[in-house]
Amino acid sequence: MHHDDTPDLDHQLAQLRSGMAGIDTPHCVEKELMQAFAAQFAQRQPWYRRLGLLEWSAAGIGGLVTVAVLGLLLVSPHLANRLHESNALVRIDNGGAFIALDSFERIDAEPAPRLVETEVPRTMLAALGLPVTPENAGDAVRAEMLVGAGGEPLALRLSSLSFN
Amino acid sequence: MTITPTTSDTDLLRRMRAGDAQAFAALYRRHQGPLYRFALLRSGSADTAADTVQEAFMGLLSGRLAFDPLRGALPHFLFGVARLLILKQEAARRREPPLPEPDEDDSELACDEACPLARVLAIEAAEEVRRALSRLAPHYRDAVILYELHDLSYGEIATICAIDIGTVRSRLARGRVALAKALRAHALDTP
Repeated sequence: MHHDDTPDLDHQLAQLRSGMAGIDTPHCVEKELMQAFAAQFAQRQPWYRRLGLLEWSAAGIGGLVTVAVLGLLLVSPHLANRLHESNALVRIDNGGAFIALDSFERIDAEPAPRLVETEVPRTMLAALGLPVTPENAGDAVRAEMLVGAGGEPLALRLSSLSFN
Repeated sequence: MTITPTTSDTDLLRRMRAGDAQAFAALYRRHQGPLYRFALLRSGSADTAADTVQEAFMGLLSGRLAFDPLRGALPHFLFGVARLLILKQEAARRREPPLPEPDEDDSELACDEACPLARVLAIEAAEEVRRALSRLAPHYRDAVILYELHDLSYGEIATICAIDIGTVRSRLARGRVALAKALRAHALDTP
């Protein structure tokens, strides 16, 4: 744009442009804007990006504890069943006892079991988990033994068993 | 990804919106100078100019100001925002009861005590131009500042001021004549 009507004006405007060339916004404005930026994106970030190392460590430990507790809760029924099953191998009631010498599946599957009457020394029963006292250690206990077709012992029923 | 002077504003904006603080800082540093100088000359107040720059970038940051790269360049968008913010402030100031007039003659558009302009513009002629510019009608001032001091085209000024190119041309011509007249009058008054 040529300005013949104002010949000095272009020169004066150039002086103003030159004088203002170094003027910038005060530094505090940038500082405040960057703080606003940080605040805004701290809110916008998903929760997992806002957590620091300490929070992540605590969360990790918490997670491990939770997994361990859950694992125990899930596993314990199986353990209980197994314990229950093992306890079922020796069942004592009304002064008698039933001792499974093989698994219940094996006993059920036996096609031709036989019942054999016998007497067993009480000391031998101690190995099967039955209580033995010094007074009755020398006694014998009347027993019915369930044997398989091949003669292998499957279970033992003890009658008139006294724990006194 | 590094930021270079050739990194586009659009790219910086995209990265800023993704939470890249360096991109926002680069964007601010790239545009704050011209924007502040425009606001300073347009409002005549360093505080108003600083507030204007801060508010414009806050609007960009918060998403309150929706910049569309398809509708123009970012600097022009920021000039437009600054102009509207200053107009809004001037309108609010007009509604408020006027403060007692200072003694100085050139109090029509007062410059702050701590105005960096007053300190930096040691050259008397430049200061005279600034004073004369501050006395121009606001719509002439927009055109003269953006054309003469920011080298914007008629089309760009038309977009910023939301007027047509013909109006820009006439406002610029009248603004220049008024400015020259004010400067001549000042030169005659000066002993």
